[in-house]
Amino acid sequence: MAKQREIGKAGWGRSLFAGIVGFVYFFPVLWIILTAFKTRTDALEIPPKFLFSPTLDNFRSVFFRASISSDSSQATNFILYFFNSIFIAGTAVLLALIIGTLAAYAFSRHPLRGNDTYLFIILTTRMMPPIVVIIPIFLMFRLTGLAGSYWGIILLYTAFNIPFSVWLVKSFFDELNPEIEDAARMDGSTDWRVFFGMCIPQIYAGLAATFVFGMILTWNEFLFALLLTGVETRTVPVAMARTLGGEVGVDYGLLAAIVTLFLIPIFFVTFLLQNQLLRGVTFGTVKK
Amino acid sequence: MTHLVVNNIERHFGSVKALQGVSFDVHEGEFFCLLGASSAGKTTTLRAIAGLEELSQGSVEFAGEDLTESPVQGRGMSMIFQTFALYPHLSVHANLAYPLVRDGVPRKEIKQRVAEVAELLRVTHTLKRKPSTLSGGEQQRVAIGRAIVRRPKLLLLDEPLTNLDAKLRHDMRAEFKRLHRELGMTMLYATPDQLEALTMGQRIALIRDGKIVESGTPRELYSAPSNTFVASMVGSPVINLINGKISTQGDQNSLQMPFGEVPIATQRFNMSINSGDELTLGVRPNDIHISSDTPAEFNADMSVSGRVHLTEPLGDVTILDIDVSGSLLKLVLPEEKATSYSPGQDIELSFQLSDAHLFMTETGVRVN
Repeated sequence: MAKQREIGKAGWGRSLFAGIVGFVYFFPVLWIILTAFKTRTDALEIPPKFLFSPTLDNFRSVFFRASISSDSSQATNFILYFFNSIFIAGTAVLLALIIGTLAAYAFSRHPLRGNDTYLFIILTTRMMPPIVVIIPIFLMFRLTGLAGSYWGIILLYTAFNIPFSVWLVKSFFDELNPEIEDAARMDGSTDWRVFFGMCIPQIYAGLAATFVFGMILTWNEFLFALLLTGVETRTVPVAMARTLGGEVGVDYGLLAAIVTLFLIPIFFVTFLLQNQLLRGVTFGTVKK
Repeated sequence: MTHLVVNNIERHFGSVKALQGVSFDVHEGEFFCLLGASSAGKTTTLRAIAGLEELSQGSVEFAGEDLTESPVQGRGMSMIFQTFALYPHLSVHANLAYPLVRDGVPRKEIKQRVAEVAELLRVTHTLKRKPSTLSGGEQQRVAIGRAIVRRPKLLLLDEPLTNLDAKLRHDMRAEFKRLHRELGMTMLYATPDQLEALTMGQRIALIRDGKIVESGTPRELYSAPSNTFVASMVGSPVINLINGKISTQGDQNSLQMPFGEVPIATQRFNMSINSGDELTLGVRPNDIHISSDTPAEFNADMSVSGRVHLTEPLGDVTILDIDVSGSLLKLVLPEEKATSYSPGQDIELSFQLSDAHLFMTETGVRVN
């Protein structure tokens, strides 16, 4: 690893420039978060208000909605939707990572005849927009009865994440020194032990990076979720879209509150893994 | 007693034949060197013996047992790799303990044996650290430690000194000799460096293009190389090879070279030599002297004049490259004598040919 540069060495000019660019990128996120704490009137104010008295009403109405017919407020299903999103994305990405890692190791260490062709074919599934394949997939799901079930959408997301996992993880395996594995074999390790005891620990950072990237993609997925989940298995992006409509127009405060809550898990995962992530994406580029 | 028998092994990678019938045997407790240029097949040979490469043909026997089909894990050998191949995610202690853990050695004994090996190799102060924080020499010693901690019957060493700087290489050569003496294990050492092979090996096998060219003691290879390849691989500075042609006058044969001719007694050659045959004369740089300053028991068989082309001072000695009618000849002079010569200067040389080697030019095979 290169020596860490002294903090602030870049000077004020460059730091300011980086700060401005960073702010431009972060601004929409900040805007959403602020809107989540605004009342409906504040949210629609033009020019936008940056000073306002914050309210938690929006967050409350994500989970409980005032009912017209009775005095008591009614629980929404958002707790379930959040659970669905976490469960479906988490399971699918983890499954894809496990299968992808095993496949990547095979591709890297025991190349087949025409290895690169297979790798290319795997990637072709990512080359077209999902909407192209939505009809056949929808029909397949209807036929097999997988539509609307947890396993259906998990399987689909897993399948969509595997190519990405295989490619990324393979590049990490390719970087490893194969003599280390030979040494472990000579020291008495079986092939499985070499894989789990020698190879996997060396690419933890890469696996973490792959997990986070997969998670971000899957977490935000909308189209398949819209068509292939049922009432019970609905994910947050779909549920969010359904709150958009309504006879009194779009409730931007409510929407912003959902998005803000929706950001938390992915934010959390990324934050926890950020050190690994940095090492993962720079894997092999820095001479050890 | 023969310990390791490598019998006609072949290894093909697609159409590339990395090993084309390699055979040699190593005695118990011997320090055996496999000498060859890069991609000659040294590493593949070691890996084949270790079981890391599947053989296309041939067999490997070790301690009276045919290991050709047996898995890597149970062969009782250790290997030191060119890249050291330390386990980067484990501490030095865990690296050294790894083979013992796999062998199921009790924990208490592991601790004791790791401590012993660390002591022997002077890496005790690094035990808690990760390999990446060690210097090159320390990493090398840890790699040796990991290989010897389980007391293997055979230690394979794949160019272990290539990644070290010159000073460290010199120290480690002595270290390997010491270890070999102290541990008494059989060692098979692959190297591209003839100096390493000559200083450490009890016997040496020369390998080229996946074939063993010759094997023998360092002295045998040096004093009676079987062909020009062996002659030029063994010995430093490299042997002078001069092409010539046989001419016959009466029953007297002589070798005509660009700068003169020498009488050759072809009667004791191991093949018949006729007039017009092209031969190569091999003369070691130490057998060429400056005519005005020959040692006491020196019989000059031939004298030629040339011009100093360049000088390579090595500290205690200097290698002179002399241009003799277009051929460059090397000779070695002690530093104090070499200082009086500089490039461009005329010089008179004398050869002693009693130790000279003669080879067929076309095939490179030794004839005398």
